Amino acid sequence: MLIPRRVKFRKQHHPSRTGTASGGTTVSFGDYGIQALTPAYVTNRQIEAARIAMTRHIKRGGKVWINIYPDRPLTKKPAETRMGSGKGSPEWWVANVKPGRVLFELSGVTDEVAREALRLAIHKLPLKARIVRREGGE
Amino acid sequence: MTHDKVTLPAEVRTDFGKGAARTARREFKIPAVIYGHGAEPMHILLPAQETTLAVRVSNALLTIDVDGETHLALVKDIQRHALRQTVDHIDLLTVKKGEKVTVDVSVHIEGEVAPGAVLDVDHYTVSLEADATNLPEQVTVNVDGREVGNHVLASDLVLPNGASLLIEADTVIATVDEPKVQDLGTTEEAAETVAAEGAPAAAASAE
Repeated sequence: MLIPRRVKFRKQHHPSRTGTASGGTTVSFGDYGIQALTPAYVTNRQIEAARIAMTRHIKRGGKVWINIYPDRPLTKKPAETRMGSGKGSPEWWVANVKPGRVLFELSGVTDEVAREALRLAIHKLPLKARIVRREGGE
Repeated sequence: MTHDKVTLPAEVRTDFGKGAARTARREFKIPAVIYGHGAEPMHILLPAQETTLAVRVSNALLTIDVDGETHLALVKDIQRHALRQTVDHIDLLTVKKGEKVTVDVSVHIEGEVAPGAVLDVDHYTVSLEADATNLPEQVTVNVDGREVGNHVLASDLVLPNGASLLIEADTVIATVDEPKVQDLGTTEEAAETVAAEGAPAAAASAE
């Protein structure tokens, strides 16, 4: 599972959820990709679940790229705790995904297999997404 | 191979900034800039519908008619909206007939590699020098029956007449590899649990 090896500060402010992606909006490495249509915090477990769903479907032969990294910690206060007494403890690692961002890429499989693999992966993610193809691809 | 030249009427752009650009886009016009040959850059507005159709081919060659004055121009860069995929802005490079220009052309792969092998593409585009009025849309390479360990080199690409590669001839374009065994997690049940749980504590190791 993806997790930062070392961080400068354990707790951060919440990442901004406004706006659209300013980079990483095109399929750069593979032939097909998943493009986010809504903003979301994608946790490292969701990224891993999507990757497993994809690789399980393509079996051998394809190549998968993960274009996002969960580098932002989110905190949570324990249940039944009174407010105050400082910020909660880090609970999740998330990637701050904005609309337009290409999250995963895939190559080396047929069109039918690629679309089904990406469809399965989208179901593991907490956002609306679409399947996109490389610009200039047939 | 060559594109049919498309003539687009343009008007000189007088208002600048994102407000003016958005107003122009609302009026179905695309802001663009023409530069090259040491001349002052010229900011123009192009009709959205015709321009979008014209730039669907890569390295499109356009004739821009600005108030009766024509410019032969090559599409250098296109900025698109991340979600809507509409054209936001176009950079045009003026060219002359017979002039050699440098362009990135996509690599088209034909055929199937040997059974049990997969093709790993390193370069989806290659830089070429070609006649401005005779630019290829793509360069092809045949990989039919290639075995594991075989490399597709830049020298294997079939180039059109008058075009020359700007990368080394021994640059690896693609490699025929054995399929890699993917890490599928522990068990199917575990994978399902991971997806269902959403996100339990995972920060302990970073503390």
